[in-house]
Amino acid sequence: MPDELILNKEHLTSFLRKIAREHRLIAPVKNRYGDTLFEEVSCLDDISLDLESRPAMPPTHFLLPQDETLFRYKREDGQYYFSEVLPEVSTVLFGLRSCDLWAIFLLDMVFEQDFKDPFYLNRRSNTILINNPCLEPMKNCFCKSAGSGPFLTEGYDLQFTDLGDRFLVEIGRPKGKALVEKWDYFFVPATNKDKNKQYEAILEAESRFQQVVDLNTASLRFINNEVDETLWEELATRCQGCGACTYVCPTCHCFNIADRPISETEGERIRTKDSCALPGFTRLAGGHNPRQKRSQRIRRRFYHKLAFAKEKYHRSSCVGCGRCVEVCFGHVDMIRVVETICEKAEKRSSAASLQLGEILVNTGLISSEELKTALEKQATTGKPLGTQFIDDGLLTRDEIGRALWHQMNIPSTAETAD
Amino acid sequence: MHRVLTTCCFCACGCNLYLEVEDGKVVGVIPSKQHPIARGNLCVKGWNIFEFVHHKDRLRYPLIRKNGRLEEANWEDALGLIARRLSEIKEKHGPESLGVFSSAKCTNEENYLLMKFTRTVLKTNNIDHCARLCHSPSVIGLGNAFGSSAMTNSIAELAGAEVILVTGSNTTEQHPQIARFIFDALERKAKLIVVDPRRIALSKVANVYLQPRLGTDIIWLNGMMKIIMEEGLHDDSFVSMRTENFQAFTKHLEQFDLEQVESICGIPLEGLRQAARMYASVKRAVIIYSMGITQHVSGTDNVQSIANLAMLTGHVEQEFTGVGPLRGQNNVQGACDMGALPTTLSGYQNVADAGVRKKFERVWKCELPVAPGMTGTDMVHGALDKKIRAMFIMGENPVLSHPDVKTTRNAIERLDFLAVSDIFLTETAELADVVLPAASFAEKDGTFTSTERRVQRVRQAIPPIGSCKADWQIICELSSRMAYLMDYESPAEIMEEIAMLTPIYGGIYHGRLENRWGLFWPCPSRDHPGTPFLHKGSFARGKGHFECVDYRPPAEIPDDEYPFYLTTGRIYQHWHTGSISRRITMLSRDEPDAFVEMNPVDGRRLGVRDGKPVRVISRRGEITVGARLTEAVPEKMVFIPFHFHEAPANILTHDKCDPIARIPEFKVCAVRLEKVQ
Amino acid sequence: MKDSAQTLVRDTAANVYQPYPASILEVKEETGDIKTFTLKFKDKEIQEGFTFRPGQFVLASLFNCGEAAFSICSSPTFSDYLQLSIKKVGLLTGEIHRYAEGDEIGLRGPYGNGFPLELLYGSNVLFVGGGIGLAPLRSLIQYLLSKRSEFGQITIFHGARTPGDIVFEKDLATWDKQEDVNVETTVYRSTPEWKGNVGPLTSLWEKATISPSNTKAIICGHPAIISYVFFDLLKMGFAEENIISTLERNMKCGVGKCGHCSIGSKLTCIHGPVFTYREMKELSSVS
Repeated sequence: MPDELILNKEHLTSFLRKIAREHRLIAPVKNRYGDTLFEEVSCLDDISLDLESRPAMPPTHFLLPQDETLFRYKREDGQYYFSEVLPEVSTVLFGLRSCDLWAIFLLDMVFEQDFKDPFYLNRRSNTILINNPCLEPMKNCFCKSAGSGPFLTEGYDLQFTDLGDRFLVEIGRPKGKALVEKWDYFFVPATNKDKNKQYEAILEAESRFQQVVDLNTASLRFINNEVDETLWEELATRCQGCGACTYVCPTCHCFNIADRPISETEGERIRTKDSCALPGFTRLAGGHNPRQKRSQRIRRRFYHKLAFAKEKYHRSSCVGCGRCVEVCFGHVDMIRVVETICEKAEKRSSAASLQLGEILVNTGLISSEELKTALEKQATTGKPLGTQFIDDGLLTRDEIGRALWHQMNIPSTAETAD
Repeated sequence: MHRVLTTCCFCACGCNLYLEVEDGKVVGVIPSKQHPIARGNLCVKGWNIFEFVHHKDRLRYPLIRKNGRLEEANWEDALGLIARRLSEIKEKHGPESLGVFSSAKCTNEENYLLMKFTRTVLKTNNIDHCARLCHSPSVIGLGNAFGSSAMTNSIAELAGAEVILVTGSNTTEQHPQIARFIFDALERKAKLIVVDPRRIALSKVANVYLQPRLGTDIIWLNGMMKIIMEEGLHDDSFVSMRTENFQAFTKHLEQFDLEQVESICGIPLEGLRQAARMYASVKRAVIIYSMGITQHVSGTDNVQSIANLAMLTGHVEQEFTGVGPLRGQNNVQGACDMGALPTTLSGYQNVADAGVRKKFERVWKCELPVAPGMTGTDMVHGALDKKIRAMFIMGENPVLSHPDVKTTRNAIERLDFLAVSDIFLTETAELADVVLPAASFAEKDGTFTSTERRVQRVRQAIPPIGSCKADWQIICELSSRMAYLMDYESPAEIMEEIAMLTPIYGGIYHGRLENRWGLFWPCPSRDHPGTPFLHKGSFARGKGHFECVDYRPPAEIPDDEYPFYLTTGRIYQHWHTGSISRRITMLSRDEPDAFVEMNPVDGRRLGVRDGKPVRVISRRGEITVGARLTEAVPEKMVFIPFHFHEAPANILTHDKCDPIARIPEFKVCAVRLEKVQ
Repeated sequence: MKDSAQTLVRDTAANVYQPYPASILEVKEETGDIKTFTLKFKDKEIQEGFTFRPGQFVLASLFNCGEAAFSICSSPTFSDYLQLSIKKVGLLTGEIHRYAEGDEIGLRGPYGNGFPLELLYGSNVLFVGGGIGLAPLRSLIQYLLSKRSEFGQITIFHGARTPGDIVFEKDLATWDKQEDVNVETTVYRSTPEWKGNVGPLTSLWEKATISPSNTKAIICGHPAIISYVFFDLLKMGFAEENIISTLERNMKCGVGKCGHCSIGSKLTCIHGPVFTYREMKELSSVS
């Protein structure tokens, strides 16, 4: 069987119906309220497949559910028992987009390396990925800038390109091939004409992006420490800490682990989607929080997407799907932040005095009035802010050191607790 | 896995979200992208809403107190006991000895039924709910001024406003979706004025931020109006054509001395001038307010004053303008609409009106009580001196939510009989003689009415857990046992009766809510499209009414012994008394403990460092909480959220009420702080 | 779920999140709020197969209470048990303080990088442990002492708030008896009975001769205290890479997935918790 085939659009439903009979089929469906979501489809008759809009939640939602049981436990006669629960279901994800597929590749790396995560990997190895590249980028899409779309040359199990009345079907991996071979009667070999048509569609789609987002420059600025740190303070006035940017992000995978009691004798250990935007994410048992301020948490999210991933995986972990752009309450989104980082670099030093002052105010050592006075004085004396406080007899060197230490994230003991 | 679209049960924004259901369990949540308020996002509470539904602590079977302890019982016995005790007490002490708390967390249908049960079966008008503690001054104040107490405009219209004045509302934390529309407006170069004693998040993006002292709102409001009059920025034609009592009002305002503004409320006159000009000089300006305005002994006057300001500048009766009281609970608007109030039947139809009573009596087939009922705060006081002897409380937790916890608890304990229906064993339920396990929002059908008067469907996602029953079923069964048959098949059938008796809900049927994002009341008939903004062309009451309002200081102000102002309120992660939100892992992880916000300068004076415990003492009691040093509060003022049962802020508050609305002054009292060694 | 002939691929990876039951053999009260728990896996094979490096940590599960990370405070040379010293600071630690001999907990691990033993061979080693910070150091101290001849001079400084807060008193005494080990303990606030040193940890410098050029300093303790230790060591002339400490972060999964302990481009549970001062300085700038 050749690696490039044609599926007449009229046969799509029949093909999916066959799949749905043997696998859990997940596809983008527009529901009666007008929302398009990846849904479990068991009957193809009364649903409307929607390959035009971006499903609200990414498909990674199915590989890494919001809430998942890691194991069950019970206590009987003082003994503590654990029992395993592993997800086992064969799934076909249809109607994926290149950006979302890239996100899955990134998650594969996270969950493969160091220690293997059995839950993700089990789902993943039982999942077949069918990509539907976008021919029409949406308003806030920038997969082209992110290097994750709109078309893929590898990674998918199958790729369906819309050629009007038919799909050009490319076989990527054995699992995709097996699927096509099983129901080979739906397919005919593709011709050169079909392939040319796909090529035209690619060119066309690539020319239609409204957003050009320079993730690469932003990543480098971050890594080279050239980002204006006052940016995060400004964003913090608009961020409301809902966590949605991470919940809708296809590459975000952080989770919390906790016990969920079922009764006095048993319960389950669960993991729940977590977010670095939330204040409790980094808080330690004793109460100390290395990322106490919202601005630090916003910075962390963008640092992770742009610099962390760049250093670790040699690409940013933003795939340009545009979801976070559309849900933020205060317009703190990847497009704007990248633009600002690229515009506003190298204004770091002016912020240093302000930062010290703010730390001192926050720890209650000085009032904001005193800070204002000191800043005014500093403007004439030219002394560093800390020295100004010491000279004015407001603070001792020790007090400043201690306050700074508490705010910095360097130290400390090996004990961590709940 | 399948998904069920429903309405969020936290705040009154009314977001629609999908509950993800797998094997009969709610396992996740997704916001609706198309929903005009949710727009693909939820606040942190919404995103984690699914977890409490199956919590271990959910009540799963009825409880009856035996030998002082609550013990497992069956429905038959529990309902039988409630029916018997309520009847006995009614017989012996008269219907006026019975009191009912309805719930702004429950559906419209349930509120309607409980209100009907109270009036037809218990034969009393003693029914109230937590609106008493949040927006009763709006019900009265805006009712007097405009003829309707609801938000005059829809939430989405905010984005089209030119100036938004936010006062007494920490919008980003309490109504995140509404804040989102404010941010949208700012994107379109709208101007924002924030007036709040706390330096709330919105103040940082405001064009003008004014920081008044607690409880001095009438001063700056009157000041602002005086400036507007002086500078001729008022809307003459609007005032003369659409309002009444303006002459008396201007005369009254003339006596107001602008010089006192700064000395009493601490706002520099120049700032106030700037705000006044900003607000008055545009066409489309909105005022958003919430508990910071209402929870005062002068709550009703505060609201009236806000209405005066809006009318003076002609900022009502059109799109993108108006006055928006932001309601707190998911269905507090609906609970008011449904007549879970001592003086009105559903749709604000007055009990005192014989014609109204006759209409209801014809359908309900029984005679209705005439005497006005007692308010919630008065019922609690009534329990203290045995005027109230038995109560039925549906989904409320007054022991924590009412002011002066010690007195409230004492009052509830003095009742001869208490029945509570709730989803968790709340602090109030712990005191009950009978506790009924209610179904949560995920387990029942019905409707909620959001703060913008949008009536939306609540859809059942899973069957009730354990032996729980939806409150509407509980009321039906209880009523039928008390010789008044209620045999509704479904909430949809109840809504049909509501529509029949309630003009503003006249065209609202479950079927009509299905394929759109709800309907705005007033919606008088089946073919009516609903009303996104009120008072179009004329006020609901005819002409807008100017009321002359004078400043009255708070009931308790700091002195040498109790030198700090205390104000109470909510935080982003938690919901009211925390019975739901504190059982959600992520939310309690983020905000595990009670705290007191205090200015770093005060912290330094007291020798208290961030995170260290402080004792907060008022004339009523004391609590110990961790200090949170922040410049969000000015010196000599502290803020404590009231969600935490182990350190209940309401031990400290007093129960002095607004004389008309009977709302307690949660927002101001005097305390002393002590460092805990 | 489909019940078709579709064969499912079962990834053979074991469930890394699932702990193994372990019994508490002994509970020793160190101070008012610190207890040392001696633990043994119930499964003999698991106990025998459990090897670790000093400085590594385990995740301990408590029934209905969740899980938290604790560094192992016993030496890997004792292969039939392991010990955790736990200070009461939160819910889980509060709960484990109610546990007694014979009770069971769950354990998984070891995780983290541990101390860089290879760097220590042939060097003098200075240990500075403030309060409970002595716990992870104890594991390493015991290990080094079991191979005493392979290391140079060993100096141990321990600082506690009050004499009642001194941890591992017996161990400190035993080590002190050894001629080739210098042990100094100091308290910040004294009591009438206390005859030893009084003052902060940094007041102990004069009690020993430390040569910055061929000594590795291993430091663990509360941030506010060890900041001064770092400061003094750098002043003495220690190279930044010869100062070794551990970083405290909120660790949830221990296996590099959950993201909680990330700092800069590192994950504390995988690349840490042991870092040199130089590494820490770089990380702190990116948080």
